[in-house]
Amino acid sequence: MPYIVKIPQFEGPLDELLTLAQQGSVDLREIPLARIAEAYLAGTEHHVDLEEATEVLWMLAAMIEMKSRLLVPKPDIPAEPLPLEEPSDLEARLEEKLQEYRAFKEVASALRALEDYQHRIFARPPGDDPNAVFLEGVTLDDLFRAFQQVLERAREEVGEITAEEVKVAERMEAILTQLAQHPQGVVFADLFAAAATKLQVIVTFLALLELIKNRRVRAQQPQTFAPIRVALAAP
Amino acid sequence: MTIPNGLVPHGDDLNLDELKRAAESILLVSGGPVTVDQLVEALGVAPQTVHALLWELQQDYAGRGIQIQVVAGGFHLCTRPELASYVQRFLRLDHREPLSQAALETLAIVAYRQPITRAEIEAVRGVRSDHIIERLLERHLIRDVGRKQALGRPILYATTEGFLRYFGLKDLADLPVLEGTDPRGALGGMTPTPHASPAEGSEAV
Repeated sequence: MPYIVKIPQFEGPLDELLTLAQQGSVDLREIPLARIAEAYLAGTEHHVDLEEATEVLWMLAAMIEMKSRLLVPKPDIPAEPLPLEEPSDLEARLEEKLQEYRAFKEVASALRALEDYQHRIFARPPGDDPNAVFLEGVTLDDLFRAFQQVLERAREEVGEITAEEVKVAERMEAILTQLAQHPQGVVFADLFAAAATKLQVIVTFLALLELIKNRRVRAQQPQTFAPIRVALAAP
Repeated sequence: MTIPNGLVPHGDDLNLDELKRAAESILLVSGGPVTVDQLVEALGVAPQTVHALLWELQQDYAGRGIQIQVVAGGFHLCTRPELASYVQRFLRLDHREPLSQAALETLAIVAYRQPITRAEIEAVRGVRSDHIIERLLERHLIRDVGRKQALGRPILYATTEGFLRYFGLKDLADLPVLEGTDPRGALGGMTPTPHASPAEGSEAV
């Protein structure tokens, strides 16, 4: 769909305007190109068709170039065929570039076919085999002896499990009590004010996670790095 | 892969059938491609024998589920493309994400014009390509191979061994022919890359 120009001097498809300008049927000095560009830009605020935008941009640029040539005063000396050569020279260079680019596009599609083929074949992943057994220079006897040693040591040292000083369930209750006193919620760090030891901090944190998981407590952070607020979840 | 069987040197008075099976087992246990040199060392035979053994092995695989691919200067045991759907289902793999068109074109330019600077790539493509170059570097398809002795000493890019593997290429000479220009001319200014050399031997296969 060609872009339709609507200015007092011209009404019709943009490419037609370009053709007419190239033929010399339209005097570009009379055509306000800026107005066309502005009108087009205004239209793109709602919707941009990239294909169309590219075309419009290219055509406007071509016309701006033509217009600038018309506006620049010509030297009095009758110009030699130089100005004629210039655009064709440019064209040749452009054509060369395009050809080069097309060649690369073509090999790109050949590479695409190769990629497709390679994507459909599989080999063993190089290096790490997840099932590899890392037992170099170890015999079954070694393993057996090591196991016996472990058993003996276990018999010697009957360990004593120290009683759990801080219980997650208790900390959960404590947090709920603390939050019940502050309907607006408390800052995350305040929950740990009473927790002196490392163990207490860890258990309190676990308790908090548990409460959040159970949806009895919610944590909110208005923005990144802002203090986290913890409050009772709405029943 | 065409090599007359007569190329097997007479000096190797060995059980060729066993050597062939040995070569097969080596290809199986190796994750990546195995080079001729590695096989020469492991099997204790001449390079020509290695080529002949692998050629025969490849013939044996006709009509089977696996094949030998000559890639990045080595021999790689892999599956056949027509069986992809089964293998993918077994490995629980999704369809592999192909490169974008822009990435593929950029990669093609690097492959044929390497070593090349970003500005030279952009001159061909006509658009800024820094983002795509960044992505290709991340995927280890291209790498930084030094700096051009020019204004600003821009970084020069070249393709990697991973690039050859990605496209199943033996070496850079194995690239599709670039239309319009002499393909070798396009590769003219190139310095031979280290990974291209072991592939020379595999040309015969």
